[in-house]
Amino acid sequence: MFLWQYLSLLLLITVHVCKAQDCDEFTDLDLSHAIIGTSLKTRLLLYTRENATCGKLLSHTNLTANPKLNLSRPTTFVIHGYRPTGSPPAWLDKTVQLLLEREDLNLIVVDWNYGAANVNYFKAVENTHKAADNLTAFIELMRKEGVSLSSIHMIGVSLGAHISGFVGANLMGDIGRITALDPAGPQFTGTGPDERLDSKDAQFVDVLHTDIDSLGFREPLGHIDFYANGGTDQPGCPKTIFSGGSYFKCDHQRSVLLYLDSVNQTCTIKAFPCASYKDFLDGNCLSCERFGAAGCPVFGHDVIRWKDVLLKLRQTKSFFTTNGVSPFCMTNYRVEVVIWNEDVRWGYITVKLHGNDGEAVATIDHTAAKFQKFTETRLFAHFNKDIQLVKKVSLTFSTGNVFKPKYKLRILRVRLTHLEREERPLCRYDILLKENKEVTFRPILCEESNF
Amino acid sequence: MPSGSDNMDIELQAVKTRNGDHEPGFVSYDRVTGNGESVANSNPDASEKDVLLSVQIDGCNGETTAAGSAAAALQNVGNTSEEVTTPNGETVASSVSEESQSILGNVSREGRRIKKELNEILFWKVRLWMAIIFVFFLIFVVIIISLLLCSAIHEDKDEKFDPSLFKFPLYFNGSFQLPNLVYTENLLTLSFNESQALASDLQEKLADLYRSSPALGRYFSGAEIQAFRNGSVIADYQLKFLMPEERQEQLKNYILSREMVYNVLRQFLYDQESEESGPMYIDPVSLNMFLKQ
Repeated sequence: MFLWQYLSLLLLITVHVCKAQDCDEFTDLDLSHAIIGTSLKTRLLLYTRENATCGKLLSHTNLTANPKLNLSRPTTFVIHGYRPTGSPPAWLDKTVQLLLEREDLNLIVVDWNYGAANVNYFKAVENTHKAADNLTAFIELMRKEGVSLSSIHMIGVSLGAHISGFVGANLMGDIGRITALDPAGPQFTGTGPDERLDSKDAQFVDVLHTDIDSLGFREPLGHIDFYANGGTDQPGCPKTIFSGGSYFKCDHQRSVLLYLDSVNQTCTIKAFPCASYKDFLDGNCLSCERFGAAGCPVFGHDVIRWKDVLLKLRQTKSFFTTNGVSPFCMTNYRVEVVIWNEDVRWGYITVKLHGNDGEAVATIDHTAAKFQKFTETRLFAHFNKDIQLVKKVSLTFSTGNVFKPKYKLRILRVRLTHLEREERPLCRYDILLKENKEVTFRPILCEESNF
Repeated sequence: MPSGSDNMDIELQAVKTRNGDHEPGFVSYDRVTGNGESVANSNPDASEKDVLLSVQIDGCNGETTAAGSAAAALQNVGNTSEEVTTPNGETVASSVSEESQSILGNVSREGRRIKKELNEILFWKVRLWMAIIFVFFLIFVVIIISLLLCSAIHEDKDEKFDPSLFKFPLYFNGSFQLPNLVYTENLLTLSFNESQALASDLQEKLADLYRSSPALGRYFSGAEIQAFRNGSVIADYQLKFLMPEERQEQLKNYILSREMVYNVLRQFLYDQESEESGPMYIDPVSLNMFLKQ
């Protein structure tokens, strides 16, 4: 028995050793390297469906040296950002796995950890240009081998997004697509289009912003710019510095996690084009008519389906909200309320949907909503999950006032419309909502209405 | 020892002043009262010594101060210097620690004074501090009570109405189906007991619903079952509402609209459990309603 255990352990070690010999890993540095500073070294690690877990180092000069690089397949580059501690990105393995599961690709991880690992951020920024030049040379080589630049997709994270931009600019914007995941802001904000990513760097540039108030870039950079939760504070991320390092990077890193959810098709996140996040939250941008039958663009990997219409629109800012954990997608409802109170009422509404598959909650509290007699108040509710068949609905009205009298909201009609599913809206008539008292009811399918 | 030599200077001065005074010891002591150390100083022995010492030093002329004599002097210097400088107004000499001590002394003296004043009896056993706390407490209570009162006597405009003003009738007619009932000839005419009982049950049901409605209740006047027809059983009903004179159009468009009156009944019918209501079960799909012109 012991012998077997011993042997199997031995076997495992052998396998591991063999594997280690075969596979090329992402450069693993530590803080000491970052403190001393590293000089740039750009390594290209190839992953394909045949070697999804075992990277192969590519030669910069001889493309045919590696038989696994099949140039008839589309090629995707993944470029990481600043590595202040020198460790490999936590999301790397998952990204490789999910992208290859989704598509049959040459997936090339651009490892410029030597160059990105430096406590001096400015040094890393300097290195982005050199890394971009290295990468440009490699893609030029691919072009000589007959690869069409349109089949190339670059996914850049933070500083990597700007590297993608520089490469794209070097190649006269002929690259098929650049996806920028929270492009870096510091040292790039306020610079000209040559000094950063811009929409001319590729045929299609889609950008996700998750941390515009610190590490990310505030202004739109691509053909479509997604601002997750307004692009500032992401739900589930620590709000104070007491949570340690994650306070700094959580919002920034969320961009990758959101994108991976879209690659994995965990659920779709519909993004609403809008002038500002406030307008979006107020429900002023729920119309998707200009996108025709396809509706509003979906965030992430599949936004490429909206390429033509987005190119025509040239520049689109769009917004969506997410949950704090995966699945990040929320379920959006339009909630319309008509009241008959004589006086105007201000307050917040919490809606709960009950179904066989649990309960979903949405609190509309970004600003106090105004309710006026015989006037429809439109609210935009984001539910943490989707309830397939809504059996019951609960409503709560609150004003946030402690000392004021307890107001009542006298509702004539409330109407809930699912924004993604094509189904009849749900209605309920004649509800008396006492402040802070939850009222639960069974909704009925709405019929035509006159007010 | 700079402080030592400082003290020596003072002493020299002190002697001069004292020479002028006839009662050196006592004069100075009087002025230092309250300085804490004065208790020790009121010792007549010490004063004798002081005088003696100062005489000695006077003779030495200051410059020739030997270490020994300085040390001997130091024993009393603290006291003497203080005493003498204060009356002269030369505060330069008093060392920092002594100064702060005296400030502390002043503060504590002030504290004691305030404490004393606070403890002053106003009347009976009530002291000043009690009165002050009570006043603050009173202000606080008044604020809370007024806030509570405000919310308690808050008048909800929407709950005030005068039913005597509601005079203008509005009728809604329609029908619904009772699928759990079997149609008999007896139901056809409303004069039979069976049909009357059913009609009044249904009327009650409708009236209860509309009377308890927050929006429609005040306008509701009555419900009437007008006939039963074949088709399981189909009941024809009429609802009567009364409106006030003003703002009738608005009322008809919103609160007393066909949409409201119809859907309040419709959602009620969907809320009923088919098993519980038994023969009284009304099929929600069969409900129809129109405004009687």
